[in-house]
Amino acid sequence: MPRSNGNFRALSMTAAFATAALLIQTAAGNAWSLEEAAAPYKGVTIRTIGEALPPLEAMSALAPEFEERTGIKVEIEMYEHSEAVSKVMLDLNSRRGRYDFIIQPHRELGKFVTNGNVQPVDAFLESPELRDPEFKPEEQLYQGLWKEISWYDQKAFGFPFTALSMYMWYRSDLLTDEKEKEGFKAKYGYELAPAKNWDEYRDIAEWFTRAEEGLYGTALQGKRHEALWYEWLNFLYSFGGDMLEANSGSECGPVIVNSPQAIAATEYYKSLKEFSPPDTLNYFWDDVMALMQQGTVTQLIMWNDATYAVAVDESVSTVVGKMGFDMVPEGEGGRVAQAEGWTYLIPTASKNKEAAYLFIQWMMDYDQQLRQHLNGGATARPDVYASPEVQELPYAKASMAANEVAKPKPTLPQSAQMTDILVRELSSFLADEKTAKEALHRSAQEISALLGSCAPMKYPVE
Amino acid sequence: MSSQRISRIAPRESATLHREHVPDKPLQRPRGRFLLDRGASLPLILPATILVLIFLVGPFGYMTYTAMTDLSYANPDQNGAFVGLDNFRHLVRNDPIFWHSFWLTIRFVLVAVGLEFVFGFAIAWLIWRFVERQRLLTTLFLVPMMLAPVAVGLIWRLLLQGDFGMVTHYLHKVGLLSQSSAVFSSPSLVMPTIIAIDVWQWTPFVTLIILAGLMSLPKPPFEAATMDGAGPWRQFVDILLPLLRPIIALVLLLRAIDAFKEFDKVFILTGGGPGTISELLSIYAYRVNFKNWDLGYGAAVAFMVYLVVLIMCSVFYKAVYWKSAGAAGR
Repeated sequence: MPRSNGNFRALSMTAAFATAALLIQTAAGNAWSLEEAAAPYKGVTIRTIGEALPPLEAMSALAPEFEERTGIKVEIEMYEHSEAVSKVMLDLNSRRGRYDFIIQPHRELGKFVTNGNVQPVDAFLESPELRDPEFKPEEQLYQGLWKEISWYDQKAFGFPFTALSMYMWYRSDLLTDEKEKEGFKAKYGYELAPAKNWDEYRDIAEWFTRAEEGLYGTALQGKRHEALWYEWLNFLYSFGGDMLEANSGSECGPVIVNSPQAIAATEYYKSLKEFSPPDTLNYFWDDVMALMQQGTVTQLIMWNDATYAVAVDESVSTVVGKMGFDMVPEGEGGRVAQAEGWTYLIPTASKNKEAAYLFIQWMMDYDQQLRQHLNGGATARPDVYASPEVQELPYAKASMAANEVAKPKPTLPQSAQMTDILVRELSSFLADEKTAKEALHRSAQEISALLGSCAPMKYPVE
Repeated sequence: MSSQRISRIAPRESATLHREHVPDKPLQRPRGRFLLDRGASLPLILPATILVLIFLVGPFGYMTYTAMTDLSYANPDQNGAFVGLDNFRHLVRNDPIFWHSFWLTIRFVLVAVGLEFVFGFAIAWLIWRFVERQRLLTTLFLVPMMLAPVAVGLIWRLLLQGDFGMVTHYLHKVGLLSQSSAVFSSPSLVMPTIIAIDVWQWTPFVTLIILAGLMSLPKPPFEAATMDGAGPWRQFVDILLPLLRPIIALVLLLRAIDAFKEFDKVFILTGGGPGTISELLSIYAYRVNFKNWDLGYGAAVAFMVYLVVLIMCSVFYKAVYWKSAGAAGR
């Protein structure tokens, strides 16, 4: 009995301590408020820059709410992809501190980090004044994507603005049309359905190419532009190829961009040119998105952050309700997708780092992420994907599936140069200046020379 | 001209001439000249000199210095160490893309400026000979020239867009372009199209300058030649062309310099592609500097552009000066 009394006392004590701890924690949690945290920065103006696409437009629509609550003014500069990148590069290197936080493609991260242009976020996350106790990125974000998009060398430098990937867009109305299905089966011997592999993808592209009707089987982003490289990566990964033999984006490794798989992927990629509109060598992502909106293309590989403008926004698209989305067809490399994303970063030269952090943290909150996602964003929060509103979006499943198998790409300081080399060589191949083998061998040689001893050529050129 | 003429006269003859022109009173310098020589010119030219130093000489010096460093924003190991002439050595010996772009630019300049000159001269001559209200027509001709190159690029990009471009539509209709091709996706058509657009934009400039030259020609030599029985062709070759030579040289020089630096239109229309088909030297310099952020090497490329323009200016200048001196000597 005394023993049981002792047990009871010990239990009561433990319960009392636990309750007290919980109360203290809750009180501390309740004590934090955005308004109070932002009070020292009231009247400050923070400026940012990013790519002029729906996710940033959605952020721009949300910003006034933050301004009202905090008194911190948010100025957002929107530019075309390349311009948003080069403007930031100039600002960071001039150390002017024009931007208090920046939104940049993650492949630029290595360059920023090694040049000391951006700072880790630990200091903010450890600050009780700044950190919202409800903000738990280590639990609330897709960890793989966060680490790929916003980390470098085992350190967090920001949070994902968008977790992007590319997947297959197709015209579900055409692919389910009875007449089309009948004709397709008669010609190819199997049922017409969204392509599961590259042979099917090619057959569908061929079947629906009817130039006289203004309809094409696909549309390649063949312009000499980053878009070409991004699109080609889907083929490369799916065929089992890669650029470097490395486990993460910040790792260097042997160059394998001229592997037999890469050559096969590149040749296949070009074979689709004949099912693309005539001006395909002059297209980048905006052009193919416009073609899809106009209903002149049956299927293509495109970005998730452009999906909203085609599948949901009736004011700009003629194919709302007629679209379907699925992962990139399967090749020898399995069903894969590419990890890409834009990340929030705080420059070391920023004059209002704390205010910038507060805005980023507020934007990463569930409510803002949900609203941004529903208006064209691409969140890195799984709980947002799980919400019923998001599940209703026609592209939600494809986005989630792609996020789960997304492969990293180099974020080394030289990544922009690697991209430029590949864009040039792939464009030369599409323009019949070179064969796939010549273009990829040349790329491999240049990339190996660029990266130095950490990147020998696994497939030496004879 | 007169000083050269005098210098060709024998010294004795020259002395006589000099004596004949010596006035009774000693020569008085004009007051303004006196002030200039006493240093009053300094405040007058100082502002312009400072501006030139700040905006031209300074940046050029900095560019030249950067070209001798390994500065790169992309590679943290290249933090601007002095490398002497390494960048130039690599550019000249080991950079096939640079040489491809260089020769492409030279071909572009020769063909585009050549066509602009031929068309511009022909139009100016026709206006001079046959049109009464020359000013009105000239104003209309100037429209393409007054557009910003970026605007020209955007206009033609839309007109030649492969799916809905108006010009493409008519080219398809009349059969000049096959239905399955588009101008900027057909490697063989890209450069001719860019040249055609440049000719469209800059022929009016050549027309304007040549027309101004034609309108300022003196009439007596033509009247004398007519009286001597010289036909229109002889007058054109022996009087009009020699008199217009400085104007022609000027217009060719200005256009060649401008065409050598061509960037905006090509960047908007093709971005240098497909492949490297339209990668002019300026586009290449842009890529090295602002895509790869290899600023040391990029400065070396920019320096080479400057060097070529300098050589071009010098050759033109010498050609004109030599011809003028020759004409004076005759």
